[in-house]
Parts: sequence; C-alpha cells; structure tokens
Amino acid sequence: MRNPWMQTGNYRTSYRQDTTIFATYSEQLSLIVLLLSLLFLPMFLSRPQMFVVDLILVYALAVVGLNITTGYAGLISIGHAAFVGVGAYTAALLAPALPFWLTVPLGGLAAAIAGGIVGIPSLRIKHLYLAIATLAFQLIFEWGVGHSTLLQQGGAIAMPRVVFAGYKVGYKNHYYFWYYVTLVVLIVLAFAFRNLLRTKYGRALVAVRDNDRAADAMGMHPGLTKIFAFALGAFYAGVAGGLYAYLSRAVVIEDYMLNVSIELLAMSIVGGLGSMVGSFLGPAFLVLLDLNMEDFANWLKALGMSLPGVDIASAMRPLTFGLVIVLFLVFEPRGLANWWRLVRNYFKNWPFKY
Amino acid sequence: MAQLDVENLTLVFGGLAALSGVSIAVEKGELVSIIGPNGAGKTSLLNCISGFYHPTEGVIRFEGHDLTRASPHTATRYGIARAFQNIELFSGLTVLENLLLARHTHLRYGLFAAAVFYGRALSEEVEARAYVEEIIDFMELEPYRKRLVGSLPYGVRKRVEVARALTLGPKLLLLDEPMAGMTLEEKEDMVRFILDIRAERGTTIVLIEHDLGVVMDISDRVYVLDFGQVIAEGTPEVVAKNPRVLEAYVGGTA
Repeated sequence: MRNPWMQTGNYRTSYRQDTTIFATYSEQLSLIVLLLSLLFLPMFLSRPQMFVVDLILVYALAVVGLNITTGYAGLISIGHAAFVGVGAYTAALLAPALPFWLTVPLGGLAAAIAGGIVGIPSLRIKHLYLAIATLAFQLIFEWGVGHSTLLQQGGAIAMPRVVFAGYKVGYKNHYYFWYYVTLVVLIVLAFAFRNLLRTKYGRALVAVRDNDRAADAMGMHPGLTKIFAFALGAFYAGVAGGLYAYLSRAVVIEDYMLNVSIELLAMSIVGGLGSMVGSFLGPAFLVLLDLNMEDFANWLKALGMSLPGVDIASAMRPLTFGLVIVLFLVFEPRGLANWWRLVRNYFKNWPFKY
Repeated sequence: MAQLDVENLTLVFGGLAALSGVSIAVEKGELVSIIGPNGAGKTSLLNCISGFYHPTEGVIRFEGHDLTRASPHTATRYGIARAFQNIELFSGLTVLENLLLARHTHLRYGLFAAAVFYGRALSEEVEARAYVEEIIDFMELEPYRKRLVGSLPYGVRKRVEVARALTLGPKLLLLDEPMAGMTLEEKEDMVRFILDIRAERGTTIVLIEHDLGVVMDISDRVYVLDFGQVIAEGTPEVVAKNPRVLEAYVGGTA
C-alpha cells in the first residue's frame, strides 16, 4: 500500500514518480514549512543578524556554483572568487544605467563567458594542472582589476541604492530587501540545478568527473561538457557577485581575492562536495563559526587570556578555519551533507534499520 | 558492401607498428570474433574502430560513412558501441544512472526544459527510463538497479558494461573480452546474453575473446591477429586447422 503521508523506504510505482525529488506528502510539507519559515525569518531578526543571513545566502549561491564545477564535474577551481568578482564588477559598471534585475543576471552572463574561456584548457589538461590554470585566472583577474582605471584599480566602486516597483530601498530596509531578492534567486537557481541533475545535463557533468573516456564513448563531447561545467558554475558565481555588490554597497577587490576562492572551496568541502544540501550547510556553518570565533576571542581577551602584542581575534579566525577544514577532511570527507543523509535515511526506513 | 569495412589499417606508435595492413569486413548481423596472442593488436583495432585511436594509414567505413578520423562520440552517434576490457563505468553512479547516460544522444530536450524539468524533458526522461528498464530486464540486472556501480562484484560490473553499450542502441557492438576473469557460470551467462543480443536485436557483434572454446562455438567468422597482422580468417573450423594459427598459439614445430 502506498501511503502518501508516511512510508518506510521507497514506494514509487511509475518511472515518472521515480524522477520526483520530494515524493511523499511529508517531504513536500517539510519543504513548504522550510520555505515559509525562511519567508518569515526577517520578522525575528535584528538588522546586523539580517546581514549575516544575507551573507550566508550569497555565499550559498556561489558555493552551489562551485559545487557544479568542482563537486559534480570534478574540475577543481581555485579561481571561483574571480568569477564572483566578474559578476560584481559587471553589475557595478552597469548599475548606473540599468535596474538591478538586469545587472545581476548580466553579471552572471559575463562570469559565464569568463568561465567558458577559463574552461578551454580543460580540453587538454586535467586534475591538478587544470586547477593551476584556474589559479592563473584568479591572478590575472586580480592583476587586471588592479591595473584598470575603469575599475578604480581595485578601490571601492559605490553601488547605488535601488528602487524596486516604487519601493525605495534605504538604510533601514536594505538588508531585508536583499534578503528576499537573494532568497528568491537562490531558490530559483538551486531548483534549476537540482532539475538539471536529473536530466542528461547533470548526468553528463558527473560522467566527465568519473570517467571522461567512457563519457566520450557515450556520445557526449567531454571537452564541451567540461566547458559547460565551468560556464554554468561561473554563472552562479557571477549572479552571487552581483547580489553581493548590491548587498555590500561597494565593490572592492579584497572581496574577490584568492583567499576568498579558498574560503569558498572550504565551504563546499565542509558542506560536502557534490551535494546540494551541502552547498547550504557549508556556508552557514563557516560564516557562523567565523562570527562566533570573534566573540569567543573577545571573551578570552576579557578573561585576560591574551598574549601581549597579539590580537587573539585576528589570529584565531584563520586558525579555527584551517583546523575545521583539516578535521573535516580527516573525519568526514563527505561533509555535513553526509550527516544529513544519515539522519534522512534513518527516518526514511524507520522502523527498520536499513 | 559490408556494414563495417576496415581497409589496410596501419597504426604506428613511435617505431612500433601495433597494426600493419589490417583489413576486416563485417556483414550486418554477423558475430565476428577477433583472436590472437597478447599484444597482437586486437584492442588497438577496436580502439581505431571506436575512434579512441586514429590510424596512421588506412580507412574505416561504417555503413558508407568514413569514420577513419572520427572521435569516439562521433562513432557512437553513427551507431558503434563499445564495452571496454578494463571496466570503464561511472563508479560513483548507480547502475540505473550509468545506463541512462547511454541514452544521452537520444535525449533531445534543451537546457531550459531541463532546468524546469517539465514537458519534453520529463516525457523524454520517462521514455529513456523505460528503455533502460528493458535493458535491465534483458541483462538480468534487476537486483542491482539502484546500487552504486563501484560497490558491485566484478562479474556484475562486466555485465553492466555490456548493458551500457547495449543501451546506446547500437547497430554494431564491440565487445572487448567481456568474459575475461569470469567464473565458468558467469561465462555461460555472458555467452547466452551475447547470443540473445544478436538473436533478438539483430545487432552486429565484434568480439575479442581469449576463451577459444567460446569463440569457436558462437562465432560466424574468426579473424586471427598476430603481431599486428591478420594471419588467418574464416569460419571457426577453417581457422582452427590453419597451420599459422596453430603456430601462433602453440608455437612452431621443432
């Protein structure tokens, strides 16, 4: 018997049903509850807290992009922050002339084009060598921005306040407005990619990751698939960049440097490479950890446990960051997403063990 | 003209001629075996036909199309499928996903339809799934449908490899030692699958195999390669009596 509310294991009775993501009513209900709670979340948060949540959402979008390139297609990208930057600078240049709902997607497109170009070496080189090629792009990007007068040589380019449907976004509602914009964009793009994953496009990404020789024999062009993976991942990064530019009200090169690329990689590893849920858990975990470390360090300082001449807060942040990554790589290389999977499977098969 | 025509194929790596002047012709619906000692060039020949290697000289024609310099994905699109000798499956995916990947060229929906997963994307995916299920049924892979390929035993993975090649819906199936390292029982199963493929689907099959008993039993014709050259060709009975074949396999008379 198929009970749409509660079932033990999988009871899918048609091929069409087997393509669904949220199969049971309870799964669908939990999705609706999650979306509703995200919708009403700002009612319970203060302005600074809102900024943190916005940041997590923007990072999550960028990490979804990185997961497309690195997690699913297996192409290590150490230049992802540069793609975010391409999106941000495109948005910054277009912002005086165009509304944000055009500049942000155009930022994504510009980044996608950059991603496609960066992906070209993947026709010839693989693995670590390809990673170095993406690193080269990161450095070229930093150098290019630093030497371009149009982009203030990496200095701050101010982003204008926006007016949307007669609603003027000012100081008070800034973070709330961008929360909803980012949330909608994130949900739409995340669902779009989740859908791609159950079609030939998603399968092709995983195919070139696992075995590009066999992928070739399946009738797909492995090189073009890799370029597609770079372009798609960069598109998500570019959109995130555009949103981040508006959110932080200025575009500065420091936000798109190599260390940010590595932070994004860390987020996707901690969340779980090649996992949708991980793309959200990773950024949330690391952003919150980062903030709490600052509080923790200040607390230590208040207790008088600081070394003379050393700022504990600034020392502890990179330290914990590195420690967390090492611990995850050693003890849970599949990331937080794996914990989520275990919990989920437990309830799916309940009352049986497996 | 034969369905597959390989003429005067020469493949040189550096100073070594892996193939020199190999010509084979395979008719539609035939089961042709290629045998020969290790290093005779059997797999190199298959690699040329499926586009992984490009021959130094010679011509490969399939149903009138010149595939001499075609890449693997082009060869696949013309209807040539290949099961690899060293299993080349997507080990991080399930059996089902591996087989669905083989439907790649048959799915025609666009990126946008895929992103919303509605309309054509949905109906074509369901269609592809039905096709894959047919193959799963045919190759008796039902118990493994949703298992990760990497976790399956060797014999089953070999079967998935053949199943995946079959899911491409090929006109010509190239099987590179599909029975290597299998137990007798698994071998018998595989032979039955190969014969069924030909009987039910009319697929032309080119088989590389070391088990001469199997080869002599099921082949219509046999090519014998040695040092990159065809040394004998014909029905199993004729080939088995050829003195050059005996010499290549058992060694020359003293």
